[in-house]
Amino acid sequence: MAYFTPKQPEETGAPVDGARRAQKILVVDDDLPSRLTLVGLIESQGHQVLQADDGVQALAMFRQETPDLILMSGDMPHIDGYEATRQIKASDAEAFVPVIFLATTSNNQELEKCLDAGSDDVIEKPCNPVLLKARINALLHIRDLYHTVQEQKNELTAHQKRLQRERLLAGRLFTKIVNTGTLELPNIKSMLSPMSLFSGDILLSAPKPSSGLHVLLGDFTGHGLAAATGALPVASVFYGMTEKGYSVAEIVSEINTKLRNILPTDMFLAACMIDLNPGSHTLTIWNGGIPPVIIYSGKQKRIVNRIVPRHLPLGVAGDKEFNRRVDVVDMKQGDRIYIHSDGITETIAPSGEMFGRERLTKIFESALHPDDLYDEIRARLQAFRAGGAQRDDVTLIEIEYHQAALEATVNLEHGKNIPAVLPPSSWNFSLDLGAELLRHFDPLPMVIQAICDMQGFHGQRQQLYTVFSELFSNALDHGILNLDSQLKKTADGFAKYYLERESRLATQSKGKITIEISHKGTRQGGELTVRVEDTGKGFNHEDDMLALEKNQGNSGRGIPLLYSMCDEVKYHGSGNAVTVVFRWCECGASNS
Amino acid sequence: MPVTSEVSEDGKMTTIKIGGRFDFAVQNEFRDCYYNAKTDGGAKFIIDMGGANYMDSSALGMLLMMREYLGGNTADISIENSSPDIKNILTVANFQSLFHMV
Repeated sequence: MAYFTPKQPEETGAPVDGARRAQKILVVDDDLPSRLTLVGLIESQGHQVLQADDGVQALAMFRQETPDLILMSGDMPHIDGYEATRQIKASDAEAFVPVIFLATTSNNQELEKCLDAGSDDVIEKPCNPVLLKARINALLHIRDLYHTVQEQKNELTAHQKRLQRERLLAGRLFTKIVNTGTLELPNIKSMLSPMSLFSGDILLSAPKPSSGLHVLLGDFTGHGLAAATGALPVASVFYGMTEKGYSVAEIVSEINTKLRNILPTDMFLAACMIDLNPGSHTLTIWNGGIPPVIIYSGKQKRIVNRIVPRHLPLGVAGDKEFNRRVDVVDMKQGDRIYIHSDGITETIAPSGEMFGRERLTKIFESALHPDDLYDEIRARLQAFRAGGAQRDDVTLIEIEYHQAALEATVNLEHGKNIPAVLPPSSWNFSLDLGAELLRHFDPLPMVIQAICDMQGFHGQRQQLYTVFSELFSNALDHGILNLDSQLKKTADGFAKYYLERESRLATQSKGKITIEISHKGTRQGGELTVRVEDTGKGFNHEDDMLALEKNQGNSGRGIPLLYSMCDEVKYHGSGNAVTVVFRWCECGASNS
Repeated sequence: MPVTSEVSEDGKMTTIKIGGRFDFAVQNEFRDCYYNAKTDGGAKFIIDMGGANYMDSSALGMLLMMREYLGGNTADISIENSSPDIKNILTVANFQSLFHMV
């Protein structure tokens, strides 16, 4: 990686240790005695001398020998010194070759004529040797300086061009990596307006394997390239862990660890990550350093909630101090979620005034229709800035809570007809998970990953994830924690349910969940059997099935979902154990 | 001078006064205020924001550098006299969990 380095003195011909390197000097004079005197003088100064006796020869020498300096007489046959100088000066735009005129008189008219031709200096004949030496040295010195500047300018231009090319390339790469998989859903509008090629703000979104979506809006300290480099690891953790089924708390804590390891102390990522879950109608938020998230009710036409940042930005706290606590808010159809970086409220008007939170709030208060809100915010910001320069990256996302649109992020039927990638084999494993472990460990991502790796079930990951999370959360919530699903049916029920679940989980010390997984080959393909058993008292699954058929409420979604996705579902004992079976066939169609 | 500092007679308390814009431009002046301060037991630092009218995220980073230099969790640093705008920036980033806010 060669970057700009100033040339060493010897390369530019600048004086080294006070001694000047020998230079080529052309003496042009048709008067032989006078010329030979000059040649002798200059040679004695250590320079190489070239000679010409008229303008025609001078021009030819100039082109062939590229002298460093020229001594030129005025009146000569063929082409005179004035014309020769004019032509030399016209052709040396790139390289500066000083011309010293040898004047025969000191009258102003002749001196004027020399200067008009483009000569750099004039000296009267016969020359005073000391004076001539001084003039030659001075002009050679100026020539050196000129060349140094010229070379530096050329190098700088080349360097700038290279840098520009590299930035452009890196910019494209960056955009590609960071924006991989960004969702384009009808219920999401977003803008990411960086103030330079690289954005210090990032906006990531990805569907979860069990339907719904994860969104992360982040704002790095500063902006430009330095800020943007941190975005790459954040994006890879976000997409990778979301796809494997990890929760918001697990993902932000992994990003925090990663950033703390790689970023210098004074750099961090203010970030807000959300999980929008259409199954439970909830919004889960972890907010560290991003302005309050605004929840606007489409029905009531007002702001109904603001989720303030509770945490330090990512990359600041150590693993022990890091706080994974999330807020859980119930969502209603038509609610809108607004997350924005501080670039919005800190937009500056030409008067120096900041946009501020109050102006933002007023837009929500005066909006006539919720559909116009997003465009209205953008328009007001632009009007406020009134053509002034953008000072920071500005990012805004609006998500309308729309259950069907969110559920469509995952095509659950999709997984059913894809055969496993690997030929069917026989294997099994089981896990015993005690209550203490379950407090801080979610086994699902690991279990799903193991199944996918062993049998090549990657195409069915979402389907497997949905079924497993249903089985596992039933066992944990109802079997171990003894939570009543009726709680979910009240207004704001899910948020309450979640809080209750958190507090019971923190103190629960009894009970365990056993997961047994086996796979075997069949004549057409393979068969995956999953059994989940908990130590709880179970439930009346037969009655529940009947009730569930009539019930479209929140808690009624789980079990019918299982029946629709698995080839067999069987409850055992008191309802504390369940076995489900998936079959797949190598011809590519499920035999269910 | 946008950033000035004063050390108490017993050398235990350093007060750093911020004036005007608190951003990357004053990074060196700000660092010099605590770089050579005594950091042994009982050293206390006060950042007086009374004269500051602007602060950006690079200033938050500078505060983190200071805190780490002075011992991380054992550093005793107070931030005083912040204007509502500056207080807002500090609390959005939850810096009240790292610094005493007066």
